[in-house]
Amino acid sequence: MIEQYIPVIAMIVTGILFGVVSVKAHEILGPQRPNKSKETPYESGMEPVASAHERFSVKFYLVAMLFILFDIEIVFMYPWAASFRELGGFALWAMLLFVVTLFVGYIYIVKKKALKWD
Amino acid sequence: MLTLPIEYYLTLSAVIFIIGTIGVLTRRNAIIIFMCIELMLNSVNLTLVAFSQYMGDMAGQIMVLLVMTVAAAEAAVGLAIVLALFRNKQTVYVDEVNVLKW
Amino acid sequence: MSLDLTFFIILAIMAAVSALMVILRKNPITSAMSLVLHFVSLAGLYLTLHAQFMAVIQMLVYAGAIMVLVVFVIMLLNLGREEKMAVRQSARAAIGIGASMVLGALLIWGLTQVMRPVAAGSSQAMVNGQIASVGKALFSTAYVFPFEMVSLVLLAAAVGAVVLTKRNLK
Repeated sequence: MIEQYIPVIAMIVTGILFGVVSVKAHEILGPQRPNKSKETPYESGMEPVASAHERFSVKFYLVAMLFILFDIEIVFMYPWAASFRELGGFALWAMLLFVVTLFVGYIYIVKKKALKWD
Repeated sequence: MLTLPIEYYLTLSAVIFIIGTIGVLTRRNAIIIFMCIELMLNSVNLTLVAFSQYMGDMAGQIMVLLVMTVAAAEAAVGLAIVLALFRNKQTVYVDEVNVLKW
Repeated sequence: MSLDLTFFIILAIMAAVSALMVILRKNPITSAMSLVLHFVSLAGLYLTLHAQFMAVIQMLVYAGAIMVLVVFVIMLLNLGREEKMAVRQSARAAIGIGASMVLGALLIWGLTQVMRPVAAGSSQAMVNGQIASVGKALFSTAYVFPFEMVSLVLLAAAVGAVVLTKRNLK
């Protein structure tokens, strides 16, 4: 039944072709008269003062990492949510225990002020 | 219906596993070693899904879910260790971290 | 050549080439982007196995979450290109590649020999890939205990990461 994914493939190919063709067509068809001020990053704006590749703070990392852990929680919730009527009370209690355990972790994170922005 | 023989999937996953092993053994950058471990975990996932689908048993797919959980926990803690290493030694190259040799 | 085989060959070549790019490129960002391509082609391979839920989860967790964290750390440390290996290092690399090749030969031989009796084309596969059957299996008495343990793993990971990265922890 792999045939049902052919529209998806067609969409991906169309998307790639659209990007490549429009960039290339602009390069080939458009007039090109470069000069010094046109090639600066912001043509009529500020002069850039430093490189864009700047190290950023560890605080962002902690947020990204906690996002992953709660993302996994959602992954386990999907199969439950898709058919929780058939699964019944047992699955409900199992899921409740799961969420409560993760909530303990959330309380720890908040109490340690890991999400605080200072 | 699955029309391909299962050996195709098993051979592909063995090849990817070996590429991951070579990366772990030869690269020096701790983050690349980490990515190679993800490669190896993924090749095992492919084997598990293939077996699960060919044998009509759900155990393989449940195990893939558990492997993904461990991979995510490993990503969170492992990269935190790399960050702590960089803070103390200013390097992520594993052969420059050899203080235990003293 | 059947459509299934065509899809498999294209996705398998994509997966193998992008895995090779991960270990061969010098720039860590290029490696990370190849790894994303690898995850996407594996999701495609799961679709050829009719495991739709696994394909979605592969994209969601690996390409969507784990790779974000990896790229994040590369940016955070502002890593450049890896320098050339020392002479002593290249000897070590040769040993590593040799050992991996032996392991690979054993793996391919073992996997293809042992599983000969598995019949191709189980009719259960279409149903088993769906999200409802994953839910039914996960919340059956056989797997509910591992499921609860997952929450403890995540709890330990959250505590560990906070302890490792947070400065002046009270």
